Amino acid sequence: MAKLMEYLSAEKLLSKYGIKGTSSSYVDSPEAAVKFAANSPIVLKGITDKAIHKTKSGLIETNLTSPDEIGKGFARISKAASRFKPYRILAQHMVKGGTEIIIGGNVDQQFGKMILLGLGGIYVETFKDVALRPCPIEKKDAGSMIDQLKSGHIMAPDQKSRDMLTELLIKVSKMFNDNEISELDLNPIILHDGTYDAVDIRILKQ
Amino acid sequence: MEKAKHEYLDLSPAFNPNSVAIIGASEKPGKVGHVIMQNYVDIGFSGKIYPVNINAEGKIMGYQSYKRVSGIKKPIDLAVIAIPADGVPATLEECGKCGVKSAVIVSGGFAEIGRTDLQDKLVKTAQKYKMPVVGPNCLGIMDPLSRTDTLFLPTFKIDKPKIGGVSFVSQSGSVGSSTLDLISGEGFGLARFISYGNAAVVDEVDILHFLAHDERTKVVLFYLEGVKRGKEFIEVAKEISRIKPVVILKGGTTSGGVSAAHSHTASLAGSAAAYEAVFRQTGIVIANELEDLLYYGKIFATQPLVTGNRIAVITNGGGHGVLASDALYQNGLVFPKLSKKSETTLRKTMPALVNIAMPLDIGGEADAQRFGAALQTVTEDSNVDAIMMIALFQTPGADEKLADMVIQYSKNGKKPLVVVSTGGKYTKSHTDIMEESGVPVYESPTQAARALSALINYSKYRNTGV
Repeated sequence: MAKLMEYLSAEKLLSKYGIKGTSSSYVDSPEAAVKFAANSPIVLKGITDKAIHKTKSGLIETNLTSPDEIGKGFARISKAASRFKPYRILAQHMVKGGTEIIIGGNVDQQFGKMILLGLGGIYVETFKDVALRPCPIEKKDAGSMIDQLKSGHIMAPDQKSRDMLTELLIKVSKMFNDNEISELDLNPIILHDGTYDAVDIRILKQ
Repeated sequence: MEKAKHEYLDLSPAFNPNSVAIIGASEKPGKVGHVIMQNYVDIGFSGKIYPVNINAEGKIMGYQSYKRVSGIKKPIDLAVIAIPADGVPATLEECGKCGVKSAVIVSGGFAEIGRTDLQDKLVKTAQKYKMPVVGPNCLGIMDPLSRTDTLFLPTFKIDKPKIGGVSFVSQSGSVGSSTLDLISGEGFGLARFISYGNAAVVDEVDILHFLAHDERTKVVLFYLEGVKRGKEFIEVAKEISRIKPVVILKGGTTSGGVSAAHSHTASLAGSAAAYEAVFRQTGIVIANELEDLLYYGKIFATQPLVTGNRIAVITNGGGHGVLASDALYQNGLVFPKLSKKSETTLRKTMPALVNIAMPLDIGGEADAQRFGAALQTVTEDSNVDAIMMIALFQTPGADEKLADMVIQYSKNGKKPLVVVSTGGKYTKSHTDIMEESGVPVYESPTQAARALSALINYSKYRNTGV
């Protein structure tokens, strides 16, 4: 039976493979969240393995900076999450702007582990513009995944961002391939300022 | 069925048999065993033929017949088994005991109707004797060079392809036989045909491995519904794509690749999408419809590889030139910028009315000589990677001399050339001659552009691995 990996452990696993997640911490009170924010904008997320879609379930509050905003956001999530007990609330520093992409993975019953790349957020569902490859992938496979996508030039408009994305895909493929993972969702990863942040991580262990 | 990794069954005894036992051979017209026996007699199989029938004494169609395989007491390369399913396991066991090197089981009545018990017995026997067994529930094998033919289709109902370099594999018998019939009408000939039915023993991995190392096979066309060993398929597909092109039409893709139910990956990566991903990674040429097998088959069988996408278009019809331009650009291909030298040469050799630009419309009255001059100039231009020649035979200048010129050109052609020709009987008589001589002819610019695109994409994969 597949089991959702605890968020910070999942983040730690990514970092072992050099995949950068945004800085996160569990908060058990609005005060703890305010302290974590330290006057810069944060995101609060209700973490539970009972809800697949955080946005649709009302489990995400973004761009909270003042103690008042944070307090109200904390209360709204607590209310929405009460349907999905047990849950915890995670605070993350807000990553603003940039291009959202998704890198995912699942296990095909015939061909084994597959890695997926697509433009993130609502685009992946609307345009279905995704590229898929069996793992492990090499540099040339990563390049051909980007080239296959209509949105390829949005994700990788220049050589530098292309190199970064290629490297990231190979790292994720290796992490997925090396570990007993049945499903993987890095959705979204935000590409910004020549770097990236995996801001939401969902890993199901085999 | 579990197989050790990297262990492949050798199919050569089945394709190049010196002796064939036809089990279920019969004098009675209409019986499958009769049709197969008749085919072997008709095509003039040069090896030994041993009819086997438990109920028959004496001779079948003039050949000494045997009640049992064990009665033959001579080496047997291939046993073709066409008897009711219940008797097949014991017969296969007897074949194994007698040292029969390979078998094709055409009989149905196994896993496809739920009789997995019977099929499991076949698998065990094949493993025990390490015998390549094709089927059950299949058409089997055709090889026009070794003149083996296990297809139970009466000769008069299906055209037989000439000998050539294209091998065709079809899981399905009906797609197999109907496409084989169409292949017979193509200029390229057939190397090997195999329709492997339930794939109880010999599966797509064994077949691709055999064809990868088969010198007679230059191109593989494949109708596939599913693979049994995914990981091994990826390995063997990578291996063969480095040696020769494999065009696959995958049946059963309607589940639609990508489902939008949730944003999580499980639903985004449907099984059809997984096949496409595997094909892309391993350099497989993806066919989208049955016709693609033929369109792609003929360009791969006759034209050299090319990685550049600059296509010169020469036409004797303006409208077709426009359609060709659209078709090229829709398929990721572009026009070349002709060199100064080409422009100067063309200005001298073409009439004043001809606009020296792409597409090069050389006029409705263009004859073989004018076509030839244009063809030569663009061929020598290093800015041109491949050529699409549109020859409409309804025009006054196009006749058998034009067809001859193209054939001659094609024989020493260094750059890929495709011809677009469409029309009725007069046109057909000329396109047939060109195709017979190894010129790929298409009925529309779109078909030709898609074939060129497939050639270029595969060539790039061979060059760089992508």
